[in-house]
Amino acid sequence: MNWKRWIGLDNLPEQYAFDRSASTGYTSAAKIPDHWVATTCGYCSVGCGIEVGVKDGKAVASRPDAAHPVNRARLCPKGLAEHYILEAENRLKYPLLRKKGKLERVSWEEALRTMVERVGAVQERYGKQAFGVLSTGQLVTEEFYTLGKLVQLGFGTNNYDGNTTLCMSSAVAGYRTSFGSDGPPASYQDLTDADVVVLIGANIADNHPILCQYLHQRPGQTVVAVDPRVTKTAMISDLHLALKPRSDVALLNGVARILIAEGWYDPAYVRKHTEGFDALAAHLAQFTPEMVAQTTGLSVDQLYRLALLIGKGERVLLAWTMGVNHSTEGTRTVNAICNLSLLTGKIGKAGCGPFSITGQCNAMGTRESGFTASMPGYRKFDSEKDRADLAGLWNVDASRLPAQRGLAYPDIIEAAVGGKIKALWIIATNPLVSFPNQGVLRQALGELDFLIVQDGFHPTPTTELADLVLPAAIWGEKEGTYTNSERRVSKVNAAVPPPGEARSDFDIFVALAEQLGCREELYPGWTSTRDAFEEWRRVSAGRLCDYSGIDYEMLGRERAVHWPYPEGADAGGQHLYGNGVFSFPDGKARLVCAAHVPFPEQPNREYPLVLNTGRTVEHWHTRTKTREVPILERLSPQAWLEMNPRDARGLGLRSHDRVSVISRRGVVKGVELRLTEIVAPGQVFMPFHFAETNVNEVTQSAFDPYSREPNYKQCAVRVERTGVNS
Amino acid sequence: MELPLLESDLMVLVAQARTQLVPDRAPGEGEQYRFHFDMAKCIGCKCCVVACSEQNGNPAAIQWRRVGEVEGGYFPNTRRHYLSMGCNHCVDPSCLRGCPVEAYTKLPSTGVVVHSADACIGCQYCVWNCSYGVPQYNEERGVVGKCDLCHNRLSDGMAPACANACPEEAIGIEIVNVAEWRASFASLETPGMPSEDDSISTTRITLPAQMPPDLGRVDTMRVELEHPHWPLVVMLVLTQMSIGAFIVLWLADMSGEVAWFTLAVAVLSLGASVLHLGRPVHAYRALRNLRRSWLSREVLGLGMFAGVASGYALALGFDWSHRQWVGALTAVCGIAGAYCSARLYIVPARPMWNSKFTFFEFASTACLLGPLSLAAMTGEPKDFLLRLTMAGAGLQLLTASLRLVWLMRAETPELKASGTLLTGRLLRHFVWRLLLLIAGGIVLPAVSLEAAFVMCVVGEVLGRWLFFVSVVPRNMAAGFSSVPGGEA
Repeated sequence: MNWKRWIGLDNLPEQYAFDRSASTGYTSAAKIPDHWVATTCGYCSVGCGIEVGVKDGKAVASRPDAAHPVNRARLCPKGLAEHYILEAENRLKYPLLRKKGKLERVSWEEALRTMVERVGAVQERYGKQAFGVLSTGQLVTEEFYTLGKLVQLGFGTNNYDGNTTLCMSSAVAGYRTSFGSDGPPASYQDLTDADVVVLIGANIADNHPILCQYLHQRPGQTVVAVDPRVTKTAMISDLHLALKPRSDVALLNGVARILIAEGWYDPAYVRKHTEGFDALAAHLAQFTPEMVAQTTGLSVDQLYRLALLIGKGERVLLAWTMGVNHSTEGTRTVNAICNLSLLTGKIGKAGCGPFSITGQCNAMGTRESGFTASMPGYRKFDSEKDRADLAGLWNVDASRLPAQRGLAYPDIIEAAVGGKIKALWIIATNPLVSFPNQGVLRQALGELDFLIVQDGFHPTPTTELADLVLPAAIWGEKEGTYTNSERRVSKVNAAVPPPGEARSDFDIFVALAEQLGCREELYPGWTSTRDAFEEWRRVSAGRLCDYSGIDYEMLGRERAVHWPYPEGADAGGQHLYGNGVFSFPDGKARLVCAAHVPFPEQPNREYPLVLNTGRTVEHWHTRTKTREVPILERLSPQAWLEMNPRDARGLGLRSHDRVSVISRRGVVKGVELRLTEIVAPGQVFMPFHFAETNVNEVTQSAFDPYSREPNYKQCAVRVERTGVNS
Repeated sequence: MELPLLESDLMVLVAQARTQLVPDRAPGEGEQYRFHFDMAKCIGCKCCVVACSEQNGNPAAIQWRRVGEVEGGYFPNTRRHYLSMGCNHCVDPSCLRGCPVEAYTKLPSTGVVVHSADACIGCQYCVWNCSYGVPQYNEERGVVGKCDLCHNRLSDGMAPACANACPEEAIGIEIVNVAEWRASFASLETPGMPSEDDSISTTRITLPAQMPPDLGRVDTMRVELEHPHWPLVVMLVLTQMSIGAFIVLWLADMSGEVAWFTLAVAVLSLGASVLHLGRPVHAYRALRNLRRSWLSREVLGLGMFAGVASGYALALGFDWSHRQWVGALTAVCGIAGAYCSARLYIVPARPMWNSKFTFFEFASTACLLGPLSLAAMTGEPKDFLLRLTMAGAGLQLLTASLRLVWLMRAETPELKASGTLLTGRLLRHFVWRLLLLIAGGIVLPAVSLEAAFVMCVVGEVLGRWLFFVSVVPRNMAAGFSSVPGGEA
């Protein structure tokens, strides 16, 4: 503190000055930028248009892009403070290589050379497949497209997956088994157009708050929340069905049975556009209203009310997020949701459809253009035609394209424990916070010969373990596109240059291809992400996710457009399957039988509580970014555990006590206890953002057999006091 | 920056800024602007908080708009609602009334209560006066700041930052007829808001249609200690000791040497008290609002006491024949100063302070330390000095005990919370405070005056520290989570 301030002559008038400008109106002078850069928010996949204000080369302000169609001049608290992450103190600026146990700064040349040498050595000794890659939903589509080619053709391994498997892979697997392809059939406008919106395991008020403004815009709309917890979303709904954990399949099947029994379905649609009705009807016989009521803990009356809304509502949207996906039965639950839309024929038109609300800003981009669960353009590994088609577009021999998918994320970790994966490249994700059952993960990473982490920040719990850390540019520092939950492609632009020697992920991938000697083959003449986008347009042409009619200039004008957008079309498609033709060869959708399977780890005397996990509006995923934003940290400084007061009474616990959450796998210590009737007796809830009190120390290694998505939402725990609130 | 705004730019901005959130006219005669908050619409996203901080360039610890939580009901019929609040732009703002430097203005044309960072000296008296916790002290600047309803945006036809950022349009600006509001405001009770006080908040809050009967605050189990204000602790104890000593000097017509020491203590402690200010160099401005502010009056009273007491010390030194008249004047000024000192803590926003116990506590300190300090300095255990000391100790003991009983039996949540602090987290401090008082004020004086004096001073300092940290202010409901490190 300077002496003038200390005696009070100086009260920092310049720092706290106000001013007017044409672009901002009256505001803090420090926040009035020289210019605004229109881009797309880099947090969740609502995909809001945002403008970043730049003053003297630094990002100083964020505001909604009023011209963007998605967010209607609104942002959530994370978006309103997004510019802070660009100036964060722990941005990673230089490549770091572990030498004698310590991470030391090295040149890019040494970093890339070392990476290619070490990975090459591992692949030579253990085989190409011994190199695994874990990517993300955070890069731009162009980078996913570039990375997919690099991993599958350059490094020659198909053990490549994204953290999207922790997030939306059950939606992908569900769409593929019900409709023959990934691709969410509905869009946000349907949240307004629907007469009935059923939000299943979707707490959008916390996780996608900007979507809430689409609800209740028309008189008579009924919003139903299906959630075991009384979430913010449940409270703004017209009807909340507080079902028991993991009884959603029973509920959905119970509704389907009533629809058929009462004739509240569309037999004509079912006959014409679906397969499997008879098998489904037979399968549903066991889901009597009484059985469903007992399984879900809801009343028969509530069940019929929901069935009536879904069956008789003119336009019905069935939306879901992680409550459905984070489950060992996630894929089948998605199938059960799709069944209801198919049975009632409420799909492919305004206000209708099953609709997955995605997690990360560009999870959709990697699903479409990446090379993980499918080949670019939703092409199937096991389709010879698809492989030949893609090989032709790329001018490579079709034999170089893998005929099956490699290991999924959890299986890569397991393979590392078993010594089958010996080198791992982690890009823009932080598994040391986000992966379930951390003990196994730490063991896996410990057994690797070489771990490369590419990130915008250091230290994170994951970069701290790396042998090589590559500094990447982040949102706000690079150009490309994101695709949001509703298939809307939106432009991402650089507001400021990356710090230090950090480079865009695109540049890093191209440089690695150069090092591998395959740059010209994979990326002929490419210099920027625009080149990748132009090739991706050609590769996606004619596919369901058709980008061929979209270019950067159009996105500059219109901000965001839906795919499919074939070359020459006037607009993108707001719905998929409007014509009733699905992506299976026969054009028919499948009605899939989903079994009710209780969650794998039931509570018992030793671990009597069911632990549910989730998020809070102030933070994003593993908090790598939001912990760097002072106002968000202030608003949500630490994790908490929600417990019903009736459970607490028996344990002698009080609000603000510090507790340990203990499972068979581990313990989280020092969590602040919150007693609340938000959670049911017998259940507890904890947010997963906090590395310091990481709930994934106790969650379970249990995965959906089809999507490989972890079962984050239920495991058995007990709670003990570690400190008293005074 | 570019001034004035081009009309076309302004049109674009106004269009973006959702003009329906603000009235299409300025307030007329007898009217003012106010906030409207719709609790039924709010989803607790806290966009308003972030937008406000960005608008005003504030650090994260300072939130001119805050969001609190209220909760009630029984699973699954649970409701949690959110309360978003900036400044209530009261009809008769207590911040303005108490401000010694007249840094606050209630703008005549709009009713907006604005604060001048240039006029402010950082005494934080407004922080104590507001029942809603609105003015917040900015350590970095040494001044207080608060929500000004973005009136400079309003006058450009733009919505305030909070209203503009709300995705649910739960915050708006409207015009209220002040006389009508004055007549009707008292009937409004909002969960999570302190009951209306004499300042008359103008904010209108729309409540959800169906609320559980037990809908209430979620932060009641978490009570943070308030700031100790060390310079004030020292200043209050030492000025009261000095005033007590001078009154005894005058009554007993004692000799003059100890007077100089006593006076030096008073003057030094008064000087030290400016360290409490965020801007000590502007301390003199505190005399500005004698009309309304007890803080201004305290400064005047204690200042005059110091001046007259110097005269009295001189008179004693020169053995002036009319010295008892100067002594009487010293006593009057001292009592007046001490009264103002105590009176300024009588504020509805701080319920524990807002009682007669405050007067008794301050008077007891004077009665205890005044005579004891004289006895200790002269080294003469005169009977009447010791008797006075014991009386002071007894009175202080009674005050402390009765206040605790009052706190523990109180219905008011803030009083109850103070009681919980004193019998919980602060119990050890409180017991030590009583033990030091008994030992130093009752047992030890007959044995060792010096030891007794030291113990009593330490005891009173501890007592005054407890006075500052254990008060639980009225405030709007906060969120659940405690902030690591705390505010205090």
